[in-house]
Amino acid sequence: MSTVRLNRAEAQRRKHWDRKWIPYALMAPAVIAIVVIILSPLVTTIIYSFSNIDLIRDRTTFIGFENYVELFTGRLFWKAVEINLKFAAIVVIVPTTLGLFFALLLVEEFTGRSIGRTLLILPWALPWIVIGLLWNWIVNAQFGALNGLLYTLGLIDKYIPFMANEHWALVFTALASAWRQTSFSAILLLAALQTIPEDLYDAAKVDGAGMRARFRYITFAWLRPTLTIVLLYNIVLGFLQFDAVWMMTQGGPGDATMLISVLLYRYTFINFDLGMGAAVSNVLGLITMGVGLIFVRLIYRPHSTYV
Amino acid sequence: MNHASRLNWRAVARKAATYLAFFCLIFWVGFPVYYMLITSFMDPPELGAKPPHWIPQEPTIENYREVIIGETGQRGDYGTTTEFSRMMPALLNSTFVSVSVVLSNLVIGGMAAYAFSRFDFRFSRIAYLGVLMTRVLPALSLIVPLFIILRRLSLTNTLWALILTYTIFILPLTIWILREYFDTLARDIEEMALIDGATRWQAFRMVVAPLAVPGLIAVGVMSFMEAWSEFFFALTLTNSLTYPPLLMSFRNLHQVNWNALAAATTIGVLPPVIVAFVFQRYLVRGLSEGAVKG
Repeated sequence: MSTVRLNRAEAQRRKHWDRKWIPYALMAPAVIAIVVIILSPLVTTIIYSFSNIDLIRDRTTFIGFENYVELFTGRLFWKAVEINLKFAAIVVIVPTTLGLFFALLLVEEFTGRSIGRTLLILPWALPWIVIGLLWNWIVNAQFGALNGLLYTLGLIDKYIPFMANEHWALVFTALASAWRQTSFSAILLLAALQTIPEDLYDAAKVDGAGMRARFRYITFAWLRPTLTIVLLYNIVLGFLQFDAVWMMTQGGPGDATMLISVLLYRYTFINFDLGMGAAVSNVLGLITMGVGLIFVRLIYRPHSTYV
Repeated sequence: MNHASRLNWRAVARKAATYLAFFCLIFWVGFPVYYMLITSFMDPPELGAKPPHWIPQEPTIENYREVIIGETGQRGDYGTTTEFSRMMPALLNSTFVSVSVVLSNLVIGGMAAYAFSRFDFRFSRIAYLGVLMTRVLPALSLIVPLFIILRRLSLTNTLWALILTYTIFILPLTIWILREYFDTLARDIEEMALIDGATRWQAFRMVVAPLAVPGLIAVGVMSFMEAWSEFFFALTLTNSLTYPPLLMSFRNLHQVNWNALAAATTIGVLPPVIVAFVFQRYLVRGLSEGAVKG
């Protein structure tokens, strides 16, 4: 008895002693790293966007809003915005609907379901750059799989150079992004579908709810939070995609697939206009932060329905 | 009778619709990957065939052999480049980077997540929210100052630049998931161990860590995939040291041996694909917790 009490006192003492500095020490590496590598560049980017940076003479001059004025009054930025909106529309609509479709399929009981579930992960496991390459193979004008397929089916008798066409180029780069994002959406939606308690359906059946009513009031209602999250993710990706597009078109043909991210790359690494690059960065950052804040608001609150 | 046969008909229609949808899924997911695979097993002349050969007529593993020994262009003028000799070293680099990122991410992120989960200390809430907020920042938009910082540290064009940036950009997600995970683990057992005279470290090692293994695996797998796949930083901070930017560099060559490229791509996606299939369960869980729960 006495040893227990002694141990407890010892433990209490130890606990008080270590409580003071241990948590700080534990979080220090992560917090310092994040401040140095993420937050300090953030501040720098903001400063850069108000500066003219002369790399050759290594001189930085403060020029106020000039970069933003140039950006917002120029033709290039609005063109990128327009292209990006079309691109994002495809990247939001296709993966969300197709992902929902696949998720609903894969909760059904049928032979081959587990193969389907495993296969679903495959696109998600591939790097974006590989996805760009895969879709290059599909749309290639000399040996593309799509041309081959259409030719085999007798629908065309001459191969079509899809990527030389501005509209097709945008559609196919967006579809390549949608391809991987569909898997991601379906995985999340499927996971949510699997948590619906079976008795909800049974109870509804007893109450005389038809199939449509059950889908609307049980399945869809249950999925709504996850659908919101999936939508937000797809929107963010629609504005942040770079890898696959850079692999497939590098922004071409002409400027047909010049997303905001491609414009950012061009300003920064091709024109070496760091000030303008930083201004584009901040605009892009604000767009995704806006979406992200909605996202954090939705999930970071106690007793949230999204948990 | 009539009723029964109608029910039966409906069941059949439903089955048919299900399998039609299943076929769509297989085609949508499988077709692009299948085309890469058959390309990788063909000799270059077979690739241009019209109509295309959907099954290679003379399957060959020559492409794989050439990529692995790093000597392509032995067969005529199909991409007489030495670029492929960089493929195996790049894969080795990618492996080194990814494994380092997983380990450092688990240690640093795990420590922070544990602190946020178990201790109530000054600034804990603000620091946690700060960490969460950085998850929302697009990495793309920070590249210029990051490049300058890393150049000052003479880290550009080294693997360390990638290990450092990947680890740190994955940290917010790791901390987020692991903190949720630690929160769900019962504190009582841990408290009991402490009362029984265990130190914090002993309590962590013997009670918390074993219980947290699934969460740690999920986070580890996700950071592996991220580190293996990352392209933008690898493109801008290094000169194609790892697999993704090297794949990109083939795009700019005049003549590429597409078949060898297909083989090289296939070899390079094996690690993430195998990891994803093996840890499927943890991944799906980590994904949905990281995405939905937050």
